[in-house]
Amino acid sequence: MNQLRWSAFTAKRPYLFVLLLLIVTVAVNFVFQPGLFERNTLNSNMRVFLPAILVAAGQAVVVLAGGIDISVGSIVSIVNTILVTQLGTNASPEQTTLWMAIVLGVGMLAGAVNGFFIAYLRLQPIITTYATSFLYAGIALYILPNPGGAIPATLSSFYRDTTPIGLPLAFFVIAVILVGWYVLQQTRYGRYLYAVGGQPEAAYATAVPVSRVLFSTYVISGLMSGLAGIAITLLLSSGNAGNGDALTLTSITAVVVGGTALRGGIGGVAGPIIGAIILGLMKNVISFANVDLWWQTFVNAAIIVLALAAPGVIDLFRRRRL
Amino acid sequence: MTVSLVARNLVKHYGGVIALSDANLEVQSGQVVALVGANGSGKSTLSKIINGVVVLDGGQLLLDGHAVRFSSPQAAKRLGISTVFQELSLIPQMTVAENIWLTREPLRVGSLVDAKSIRKQTKELLTLFEGTFKSTLHPDAAVASLPPDEKQIIEILKAISFDPRLIILDEATASLDNRQVERLFQLVNQWKQSHKAIIFVSHRMEEIFRIADNYSVLRNGVTVGAGAIKDVNDRDLVELMVGTEAAVNVVQRKRQGAQKSTDRHLRLEVTDLQTDVLKGIGFQLHDGELLGIGGLKGQGQRDLLLALFGDLPYTGSVSLSGETVRFKHPHQAIEKGIALVPGERAREGLLFIRSILENLFAPSWREYGFPLRVGRARSDGLKMTTRLNLKMAGLDEPVSSLSGGNAQKVVIGKWLLRKPKLLLLDDPTKGVDVGTKAEFYKLLAQLCEQGTAILFYSSDDEELIGLCDCVLVLHDGIIRSTLSGETLNKSNLIAASLGASNEEAR
Repeated sequence: MNQLRWSAFTAKRPYLFVLLLLIVTVAVNFVFQPGLFERNTLNSNMRVFLPAILVAAGQAVVVLAGGIDISVGSIVSIVNTILVTQLGTNASPEQTTLWMAIVLGVGMLAGAVNGFFIAYLRLQPIITTYATSFLYAGIALYILPNPGGAIPATLSSFYRDTTPIGLPLAFFVIAVILVGWYVLQQTRYGRYLYAVGGQPEAAYATAVPVSRVLFSTYVISGLMSGLAGIAITLLLSSGNAGNGDALTLTSITAVVVGGTALRGGIGGVAGPIIGAIILGLMKNVISFANVDLWWQTFVNAAIIVLALAAPGVIDLFRRRRL
Repeated sequence: MTVSLVARNLVKHYGGVIALSDANLEVQSGQVVALVGANGSGKSTLSKIINGVVVLDGGQLLLDGHAVRFSSPQAAKRLGISTVFQELSLIPQMTVAENIWLTREPLRVGSLVDAKSIRKQTKELLTLFEGTFKSTLHPDAAVASLPPDEKQIIEILKAISFDPRLIILDEATASLDNRQVERLFQLVNQWKQSHKAIIFVSHRMEEIFRIADNYSVLRNGVTVGAGAIKDVNDRDLVELMVGTEAAVNVVQRKRQGAQKSTDRHLRLEVTDLQTDVLKGIGFQLHDGELLGIGGLKGQGQRDLLLALFGDLPYTGSVSLSGETVRFKHPHQAIEKGIALVPGERAREGLLFIRSILENLFAPSWREYGFPLRVGRARSDGLKMTTRLNLKMAGLDEPVSSLSGGNAQKVVIGKWLLRKPKLLLLDDPTKGVDVGTKAEFYKLLAQLCEQGTAILFYSSDDEELIGLCDCVLVLHDGIIRSTLSGETLNKSNLIAASLGASNEEAR
């Protein structure tokens, strides 16, 4: 009975393990960077992590429902290129607001295209979003063939310097996402996500609107990519059609590290958000340790492979036991 | 709150395959209609049309006298039609409570799911089957961790949780034990009194005659008979199901009787076999002997077969023809002439999208050299399918095109091609139609005469009594009782199956 309670407890809180991992990474980081918790260091770290956090949160929703979105990086790039070409250094606040709304719409539209193919035409998520990632990357390149563009200086300083009650802006964004997710989880839609990710045929027979739920997850992922595109633009103050590329692998790794199963139906959004922070911190450690940056990609990829292999390896040992 | 449902001349095609060509069904409040038919006769398709999972191609469906056409399961559900699915419609990762209330979660302010009231209502529902669970069933338990019978019960509770007007029970008793079936039938009688209509799909004659008021028989997608159950007996129904083919007297086999089994070669000897479930099993099996394993579901029968087949770690000793063996992988067991016909043919027995030929030879390609002598395999395959009387369009057709009974013949055929010395059977006639069952019994008898040793687990007591030389009744991981000859009868078998739990109940 006790064991049942414990496993039910951990099943409901898939972020427990990742929380532990976070503590370890923070500790290691702290060795290299003793000022980690100073206001400015914390803020500069978190504003770098924010785009990945946003994309990971969107990716988590897709993965929970049993899919995967490989086009997130390209959507971020589109948003980035649109903003830097349309705003320029002299955009008025009204124009800025308008374009922010437009790029969020673009993100959702890109997600809707993915969702339409996957939910209604029943194509494979991994193939579909792999293909559309090239489509979207092509659009980004069309909008901004050469790196460049600019945004109003006030915008970048707003992103850089806003620290309400002394805490980084990113903390508040994360809080909003977590509260939103917490509420969502307790709606029927939240249950549908888990049901569709767990066993789509059974969900369909139980009268869960499977196609609509699947479709919606890609729109959500598109929206989060749009937000991440805004964040990365504010962070970099310039544009490049390849700015979002690295975020795809990062987001999937963050989801895996965050305890959300790639086969769907298990996990949540809190874990992947922490996962994104961990990956950011690891990147810091790698740069402090003076090793080449490609190690970061290596580590990301290794984490995914390990996460995929772990259940199989455990099973193999269990079989050999006797 | 009365209800009536009439299905007239229903037609359904899947691509070029006709599943239903003229299906009819009528059911009213306070009635149980038994929908019977051989495998592949269209029972499942008919129930899936009624509950909206499948959209019909022709014919008429009248609910309370109005024509209806369900485009999705939602539509049927809204009108009070609920189904206990044969394949179950549960999400393994979700909890018992979450599964039961999925899509109908009680909500509190702000359209948030009311977890507390879900748990409370789940507990109330669980009391309907109280005392038939192996341990207390908790509303927060993950469905994946439950044994098959409890999953089935959750599926039943899920179907009745929204107080439907019409309930379809599609093979709902297949994985339940006697006590659970008993409880279900009590509930069905209550539902009748509260004016619900029930469609009961089952292969078990005894249950049909106990619970149904009316019957409706499907054969090859056509309704060939319907009426009151009191006007017919099981023979009549079987005749309707099989049609012109002679209705065979179901189970009968000439036992070896006089010839003492001890004169024969000792094929298998098991001493103190233990796994997570089994707590020390020992027995002997001789060539040409048909040894049955009985008992309630989930008492370790499956574990025993898997352990012998090298698919499950165990302690204890197993010796094969006097040689002690310890298989770590099924291929070692296969090499020693053991074959296992698994219980879930869809998952463990067949590659559905591949051809019959490929399925038949999956374990034997090694015998056909390199490059593969496909021609010889083809002629061997044809011999086997003829021997098994397998109805198919050709060896290259995918297994998914076969009906349940014929698909099971492919599973058996693929192991017979290896000419096993020891055949392990895990409930091979589950969900198989009467005609195929009879053929299968003949085949078993024939194999025994040729000297194959057979270990046969069945959930059907009649089969065990009719076929086996001796039956080991498992209960709670041990052999509760060994029945043979005079003592092998139904009352002994059931008494032993219930084991100690029966005495507790008293």
